[in-house]
Amino acid sequence: MLAVETYNLTKMFHKLKAVDELNLEIKEAEIYSLLGPNGAGKTTTVRLLTGLLRPTQGGARVLGLDISNDLQEIRSRVGHLTETPALYERLTVRQNLDFFAKLYEVPETEIKPRIEEIVDLFELPEKLDEPAGTLSKGMKQKVAIARAMFHKPELIFLDEPTASLSPESAKVVREQIVKLAKKERRTFFICTHNLFEAERLSSRVGIINHGKLVAQGSPAELREMRKDETVTIFRFSTWKSNTKEFFEDKKIEIVEHNQDQKYVSAIIKDIEKQTPSIISSLAKNNFQLVEVKHEFPTLERIYLELVELEGVPREENNMEDS
Amino acid sequence: MDWGRVKALVKKDLREMFKSKYILSAVIGMPILFAILIPLSTLYPMVVIDPSEFEGEEELPASFSNLMSLIVPNWDDAGAQGQLLILTAYIMYIMVLLIPIILPAVTASETIVGEKERKTMEALLVSPLSETELVTGKILSSFLPSVIGTAFAALTYGIITNITIYPYINSLLFLDVLSIVFLFVIAPLLSILSVELMILISTRVTSVRDAYQLGSLVVLPLIMIVIGLVVSYLFISILALIASVAILLTLCAIFFKIATNVFDRERAIVKLV
Repeated sequence: MLAVETYNLTKMFHKLKAVDELNLEIKEAEIYSLLGPNGAGKTTTVRLLTGLLRPTQGGARVLGLDISNDLQEIRSRVGHLTETPALYERLTVRQNLDFFAKLYEVPETEIKPRIEEIVDLFELPEKLDEPAGTLSKGMKQKVAIARAMFHKPELIFLDEPTASLSPESAKVVREQIVKLAKKERRTFFICTHNLFEAERLSSRVGIINHGKLVAQGSPAELREMRKDETVTIFRFSTWKSNTKEFFEDKKIEIVEHNQDQKYVSAIIKDIEKQTPSIISSLAKNNFQLVEVKHEFPTLERIYLELVELEGVPREENNMEDS
Repeated sequence: MDWGRVKALVKKDLREMFKSKYILSAVIGMPILFAILIPLSTLYPMVVIDPSEFEGEEELPASFSNLMSLIVPNWDDAGAQGQLLILTAYIMYIMVLLIPIILPAVTASETIVGEKERKTMEALLVSPLSETELVTGKILSSFLPSVIGTAFAALTYGIITNITIYPYINSLLFLDVLSIVFLFVIAPLLSILSVELMILISTRVTSVRDAYQLGSLVVLPLIMIVIGLVVSYLFISILALIASVAILLTLCAIFFKIATNVFDRERAIVKLV
């Protein structure tokens, strides 16, 4: 069963298309990251999937349930970390968790052991009985993540989960996400700007801009799609004056050349076939080659190129990621 | 409707409210002001005046005096000073009846617009709480402090006025059917109506402060209703009283429906969050 399935999901705010014919298929136990700049449509997508907004066109199924008809059940089976921790600051951490446990109908007898379990899971400090308002920003975020997962939802939407966390805390959260996906087969739908995190954590990544899905696949698949943009670096022991001309004669696109550091970086079409012949040709022409290295496009580069191609997103859309 | 979820919401809201110094001071301070300080400052000067000062004053119209004697035991024996005190005590009763209108405006602003201001509303809207459960919970959590405040005010006011007036009539005031119906039926209904109107306001404003300002406009018509009811207090028949209660109940039901619709998640997320 698919955890999330959208078909031409569209949301318009007056004349503005916040989500534009979005088609997603997210498998059970998958960690899926939706990447996009501010105002791209990430938060609106999650709000549509959790029933906070109604689609203008198209539809979606969440955990096999229709978002137009089965919202109550969807809400009880998913967890949601909103953009802000949204904790009740005058209440203690325990009271916050207890309140949401009751909203999600966690049996009374299970609440206390679950609080202890989740405290261990997310390395929350012994501040359970302190008002949430006294916690640090990162600690609040951890409590909010714990709250989103408290009722053991099958699908968890996380909006920028590690945005305000220290590197150590972010690592703990990432480890728990992977662990929960693998061991308990929970599905994670993560909205993030953090490309490093998306690459490390996700089985698949979607890139959204102007409400449209502009690319989707595993980080490896995305790199494969852009393998033509792999940069190959040729490093020499000595720099010959005709180095640049050599590459230009062979119609190889030079990205950069540096005489002092004695290297040329270039984009080679059909990299597997062309690279060996270029190396042998360099050798024949007495170029003292010491290193040849491929730099595959990073997710960051792919993301930036796709987003730039699509243009600057509408920052003024205050319905989004505000 | 799942009452367990409503109970959890009410418990959470009350916990939050009573940890707010502002709300706590309103819930305690308003009854003290309306039920102790204002009545005492009005009644006390009349008590300390020498009874002979009232001799030769124009008497109340006989028809009005007859109506009062139907409500107040031993009215005719109270004397001019006692009768003036009794009349003032009934007029001051308006103050007590204002508490269930004004106090929910404060508590509802805190609990509804406060959620929005503190950005906790989205987490609530994405939970399995239905719109009806949400509105019911918010009405109850705004209404309960006002009930407590009104009960405290009524009790205190009753004690103060009866201690002051008992020597004149050798009997207790405010134990008549009308006073009890006003306190236990009309006041709570006005309180619910006040909360429902505040829910409607909450969709239009972005901060608790704005809600207070707009809220004060909304409670004005309700205050007029209270004043109207109290002024006609002496002339109201049981039938008219039943009709008033029925109208208030209908208004509460209508505004509950409107408030539930306002809490439509999409509208709430667009307007509230």
